[in-house]
Amino acid sequence: MAAITIPRATHGRAFRLRRLRGNILFALALLPFVVFALFPVYWMFITTFKQVNDLYNLQDNPLTFNLAPTLEQVTYLFQQTNYATWAVNTVEVGAVVVAITLFVCIPAAYVLARMRFPGSTSLGIGIFLTYLVPPTLLFLPLSQIMVGLGLINTKWALAVVYPTFTIPFCTWLLMGFFKSIPREITEAARVDGCSRFGALFRVVLPVSVPGLLTIVIFAFTLVMQEYVYGLTFVSASDQKLITLGVVTDLIRGDIFYWGSLMAGALIVAIPVAFVYNLFMDTFVRGITGGSLK
Amino acid sequence: MAEVERSVSDVARTTAVARARAQLSPRERIGRLLENEAVFGYLMVAPAILYILILVGYPFAIALWFTVSDATVSQPIGPFTGLTNLKFVLDDEVFKRALANTFVFTISSQLIQMVFGTMLAFLLLRHFRGRRLIRAIVMLPFTVPVAVGAIAWQWMLNPTYSVVNWVGAQLGFFPMLGGPNWLGEEQYAMISIIVVNVWRNLPFTAIVLTAGISSIPQEILEAASLDGAGWLTRWRKIMAPIIAPIIYIALLFSLVFTFTDMTVVWLLTKGSPVNSTHVIASYAFVTGVISGGLGRGAAMSLFLFPVLLVGALMLLRNLKARTLD
Repeated sequence: MAAITIPRATHGRAFRLRRLRGNILFALALLPFVVFALFPVYWMFITTFKQVNDLYNLQDNPLTFNLAPTLEQVTYLFQQTNYATWAVNTVEVGAVVVAITLFVCIPAAYVLARMRFPGSTSLGIGIFLTYLVPPTLLFLPLSQIMVGLGLINTKWALAVVYPTFTIPFCTWLLMGFFKSIPREITEAARVDGCSRFGALFRVVLPVSVPGLLTIVIFAFTLVMQEYVYGLTFVSASDQKLITLGVVTDLIRGDIFYWGSLMAGALIVAIPVAFVYNLFMDTFVRGITGGSLK
Repeated sequence: MAEVERSVSDVARTTAVARARAQLSPRERIGRLLENEAVFGYLMVAPAILYILILVGYPFAIALWFTVSDATVSQPIGPFTGLTNLKFVLDDEVFKRALANTFVFTISSQLIQMVFGTMLAFLLLRHFRGRRLIRAIVMLPFTVPVAVGAIAWQWMLNPTYSVVNWVGAQLGFFPMLGGPNWLGEEQYAMISIIVVNVWRNLPFTAIVLTAGISSIPQEILEAASLDGAGWLTRWRKIMAPIIAPIIYIALLFSLVFTFTDMTVVWLLTKGSPVNSTHVIASYAFVTGVISGGLGRGAAMSLFLFPVLLVGALMLLRNLKARTLD
């Protein structure tokens, strides 16, 4: 070991200078990307906490606080709008969507990942392709179906429709998780007299808890992200979910309540961004249909 | 004689089996049936397939019917009118503009994303202190809900209080308080929509590329550079071919989502000024939901379908090729 000495101490000045120059160039290349990505979020943040007089003042530097920061915009959001109701609606609809998604995806993903029966590959691909179907293709007929079901202008219309995109996405993610579980443990369970259902519920699901949690989180955040179906099906303020409520109800006629609007937007964005950041690689794997190992 | 005996015993055996089967309780019989892989498989996939058929397949059929009928919100089951809707839509100047816009927005944001996404991917691949934090920041546009991002941009591009113009004026690009009205003038509005689309999707392109590139075995790259392959050769001959399938799928998703989306346009301009920035989806929304012309709106939405179909077929080929591995 001692024979391998890394000649770090002998690095000359020229080398260090070159490295420094490389680092500076690197930072300069990265900087525009960071500013471009971060600025709108920074702008949301500073708008949220500015006093109204500061916000609509064309004289001072808009990038900093010229008057003391305030919570009045956040207070307005919670006291004068349905923000709290939207949050509750989001949790309720999210819970229903998650339940439907799990109920439908677990069995489908399990057999598609593990078994070969006539048409199984085509069914799997068919489910995946559904993820490509955009809301803007189906919102008109679906709104009529919701009228027929008596769900139009209620949050439950969304609870029924959202699984159409959570199911394809989550089925494929779960298939990936199930494929990574060694076949031997299910086979052992079967030899020991477990039924196929038994093998799934007693052996596979308990070891897939991380995968299932990922599915729950994704289904929930996909619900928080959606906008087009919400805009089409729900116009009653107390039935809206959080994202839709923020971007529609804080605009009264031509008047935008920018402070509260950005406050509401920021409160939605931060947790969703945080979760996605934690699960980014899984998300990419899901969307590319597992082509990344 | 012997043959008869054998056949008799066969009969006896089959009847015995039949009797044994008859004695199974229904529960046991279902249990037996479920041991069959195909039966079990179909049963387990059924809920997913049914859900999709009822809430994707069936509405799609209705959309087709709307297209060839005079359906309105007040009278959803309208009389059959053949291709009248389609003809009306194709004669509509606003729709033609929307169709062209959809391609312009999608293709230009996609190209910009690919170029800058590749740059960003290579920057993110380097190991440096604070890499995780920088990565999280750069990912922000993709991780915040799209509606939230779009509304933040609308505020940044506000005609009176635009911070973009303030910064631009400080840097000397525009006179103070004299910058462009980003969302109010046609050319600027189109640029704004493209920029916001790029802002939103750039991180996705970059992250897929980083994931792809970092999955390339390091040994191959080292071997190549020992053999004297330069950076460009390594990219063209090794990295690009290996990550091509991944890029392909990511590109496809990105294309389809941008092509069919209306969120960015709707929150930035609602199609204004004078209907010059509509995309297919936003104009279908105006026609079908706001004006209540279901037939015409559905006919417009259907223009999204060919692109979707091509996307689906390309994806299908890719997936089939992979399952054969």
